[in-house]
Amino acid sequence: MNLRLLHRRLAVLMALAGLIAFAGGAGFEPVSAVLAAVALLTALFWHPDRILSVRLERVWLPLAAVLVVRAAIHVLVIRDDVVIPVVDLLLLLMGAEALRSLDAPNDVRLYALSFALLLASTAYRPGILFLLAFVAYVVLSTLALMVGHLRRKAERHAVREIPLGRNLLLTTGGLAGVILLVAAVVFVTFPRVSRGWAGRGETMATSIAGFSDEVSIGEHGSRIYGNPQIVLRVEFPQGPPDDLLDLHWRGRSYDHFDGTRWTRSRGLPPSSGPTRWYRERWPGPWIEQKIFAAPLDVRVLFGIHPIVGIEPQNGVQPLLDNAGDFVYWGSGAPAYTAYSRAGPPAPDSLRAAEGGYAPPFRYFLQLPDHLDLRIPALADSLTAGLTNDYDKAAAVQRYLRGFRYTLELPATAREATLPWFLFERRAGHCEYFSTAMVVLLRAAGVEARNVNGFLGGEWSEFGNYLAVTQNQAHSWVEVWFPGFGWVTFDPTPGGAAGGEHLESWFWPGRILFDAIQHRWNKWVLDYNVESQVGIFRSWSGLLRPRQQSGVEDRKGRRGPEATVWGGALLALMLLGGLWWVRRGGRGAPPATRLYLRLRETCERAGVRVSPGLTPLALVERLKERHAGAARSAERVVDLYLRARFGGRELGESELREMNAALGATRRMLKARA
Amino acid sequence: MTRLLASILRAARATREAWRRLRAWRRISFTPGGLAFTIGTFAVGFAALNTGNNLLYLLLGAMLGFITVSGWLSEQAIRGLVVERRFPRAVTVGQELRITYRVRNAKPKLPSLAVELVEHGLPGRAFLAHVAPGETTTTRSLNSFVRRGIYPLRTLTLATSFPFGLFLKERDVELSGEVVVWPRTDRPVQMPLPPAGSAPHAGAPPRGGAGYRGEYRSLRPYRPGDDPRDIHWRSSARLREPVMREYERDGACTRWICLDLRGEPSEGAEVAVEVAAALAARAAAEGHTFALAAGLAFVPPDDGPGQLERVLDVLARVDFEPDAPASVPPVEEEACILVQAGSAG
Repeated sequence: MNLRLLHRRLAVLMALAGLIAFAGGAGFEPVSAVLAAVALLTALFWHPDRILSVRLERVWLPLAAVLVVRAAIHVLVIRDDVVIPVVDLLLLLMGAEALRSLDAPNDVRLYALSFALLLASTAYRPGILFLLAFVAYVVLSTLALMVGHLRRKAERHAVREIPLGRNLLLTTGGLAGVILLVAAVVFVTFPRVSRGWAGRGETMATSIAGFSDEVSIGEHGSRIYGNPQIVLRVEFPQGPPDDLLDLHWRGRSYDHFDGTRWTRSRGLPPSSGPTRWYRERWPGPWIEQKIFAAPLDVRVLFGIHPIVGIEPQNGVQPLLDNAGDFVYWGSGAPAYTAYSRAGPPAPDSLRAAEGGYAPPFRYFLQLPDHLDLRIPALADSLTAGLTNDYDKAAAVQRYLRGFRYTLELPATAREATLPWFLFERRAGHCEYFSTAMVVLLRAAGVEARNVNGFLGGEWSEFGNYLAVTQNQAHSWVEVWFPGFGWVTFDPTPGGAAGGEHLESWFWPGRILFDAIQHRWNKWVLDYNVESQVGIFRSWSGLLRPRQQSGVEDRKGRRGPEATVWGGALLALMLLGGLWWVRRGGRGAPPATRLYLRLRETCERAGVRVSPGLTPLALVERLKERHAGAARSAERVVDLYLRARFGGRELGESELREMNAALGATRRMLKARA
Repeated sequence: MTRLLASILRAARATREAWRRLRAWRRISFTPGGLAFTIGTFAVGFAALNTGNNLLYLLLGAMLGFITVSGWLSEQAIRGLVVERRFPRAVTVGQELRITYRVRNAKPKLPSLAVELVEHGLPGRAFLAHVAPGETTTTRSLNSFVRRGIYPLRTLTLATSFPFGLFLKERDVELSGEVVVWPRTDRPVQMPLPPAGSAPHAGAPPRGGAGYRGEYRSLRPYRPGDDPRDIHWRSSARLREPVMREYERDGACTRWICLDLRGEPSEGAEVAVEVAAALAARAAAEGHTFALAAGLAFVPPDDGPGQLERVLDVLARVDFEPDAPASVPPVEEEACILVQAGSAG
């Protein structure tokens, strides 16, 4: 392959890598991306001659003008996002440049266009595909820039051919590894001074069956089908708690029920328990949760109840609303650290709770109009004789846990009501259970509200985090206790957490891919000054003697150390490689090394090779055993003697010949053995 | 105060010398593409700092990686090269001087690619496409000169923008030598008639005939251009260097070319030098004995191509000055062909 063709192909492959990187971030706009991909793939194998190239330019120019006008209209008239029209224009120009004759000196334009595409893709929050495309782009651009440079120099000095051996290309490709290493080092160590990049064009996920901004029990007719999309990835820096499947990832609370649907009252006065109560009166240990959430259609920050503090990590702005729920400002997928208390106060403490601040009763004792009279009666019967709210709540919860959990929806609208659930069907999904408990408690005079979020999750061994999926969406109850605030009760019987997806054949692969994606998000997209400080701290910690902490290392605590040791090993390998390259003449000359290998080969084949055996005597001795092997060995010895005693260095071609002769000797001796 | 000034001057000289050595060691400059790339790197870094977009940091790192690898590879391309230079001792104005370089790559593992060899002060460039490790290759550059003179060749620059064409890295190699550029000898001239009484002796043998070289006088070391027939083999073998026989010449047959160097350097002066060179060339071509007197410089009578080279060597070096001494040939003035700046042509 001549230099021109090789260079053009490499430049076109660079452009393809840029296209894939952009697709990894912004997704494909089918028409332009497919056309560009077709043009680039065509350019790999076909190039027009000069005349056709000039004719094609007459086609490209009007098309480019149209796209320029389109971009201008987007900016000036529609006032819309201009990125996609500009990228369309880039793709057209890239296709046009790729489909020019090989004589056209347009390599720099191809580099610039593909780089512009790569640059544009960074404006989004691309997935792991970007990383693959980026690595390919660096490797290809290393090769393309070098081949292009040699091509230009050869043309300028009228050199017909520059020998580009496979070794040279492989070495240059290997240098791309050094470039990537430098990129990684700069990425990790460059001081981060600004807040995280939220990314543009982030599309909000649509909930199929999962978390939404309302809780409704009116649906009927079929079955709820799960959506195994991962919505939360939770890391526990202090190690995961033991009851992972029982963790309630609280999202939103609802105070108003109209008989079928829960909503949030407008103008709700502050109804959250004071943070001081949660800090001081809840006895459990602190749980630190580093949460990486997917974008949902509701801007809610999830965490274990009660959340007493949130630290944003990627530019989102958390906000505590009047109901005590955390919402946020800022686009993109939020990443934050939530601090919560593990476990509720002891039952006896809750039984004794009385007096003090309470939220407005009218919001949390509200009942729907025309409430079926059997419901207050049931509430009275369940709580008869009980004197405190805790016992009442526990009694109702215990009663409802005797029901059956099912994802089958009621067949008709009549069967989708609360009374039907309580008195006829006695089966349903979590929203029926939580709704029933809140209504029964309110009917018994206990302040309660409905809450939704997610329950449990799946522990990823590969990623050391808890993966929470859409179909683990859940609904439960919070009951007010003076002096303690809102306390969680969950009346839904076991089996509520959607776990069907765990048994599907693709789930292990899915969770593995998700772990990779999570690491990409965490260590690349959301890498920030805290991550940097953490890494440097772990590095400096390695240099200090380890102290006996008495705390057993738990899952997920060995990451930074492994990184440091891996980095040290890599640096050692690089230094070794450098030493090997530089060692050169100081070690044995290449011809001597090859001769010594010949002696080893003969020895292994059973030829007696004494230390004082001269090279020519070795050949004579070999002739006695294998004439063919001796012939090729003679060539090795001949070249060795020339180099050793002839006073001249062997050239590359002679060394190659010597190597080939040694290989032939080895093969023949092995075949004989 | 004086001591302080002296110290400052010494420090300045030392700094200048250190800078000169540093520049001779390596020089780096931007190519246009490299300048754009570097500005782009700064721009990406600036955008990364301002937006906090981590992928821009990744791009920035890759661009810095390209710069690092470029610096390392270009260093490997020009280091470990052992250069020998070969070229003719002299060349005539307007003719091409072919300088041949024999380059050995003394590096054990790495080849050198796309290296240019540039002589300081000469426009021609030699190009090394590829030298494998441990191998030797040759390349050459072509140069031509428009003025006579002595051109010292001292510094050879090895330059490369390998591997990406972003930066030009140069390394100087000190290789002493000089090129003598002779004046043109093809200017048409008419040989003046010999003056009365200077005709060759009657019966003198023609060139090539027996006794043409005259009577044997002595032995002398070899000079470039000497006729190999005059080598005295026995003495050469004993002394292990060529030794030549020297003969008495017939002074009456000698054409004395007298170049008057008094005057300002000018185009006319150069024409005079070229006329003198053309006269010498013609005399050599016709087999005459000829000699040159130019100011204090003096080439004794001789013939053949060696004599022409000696004359041209002197003519390459002569300088015109208003107060230069007049040429004083050891013959009568009428026996000289006087060449003056004003009368040349």
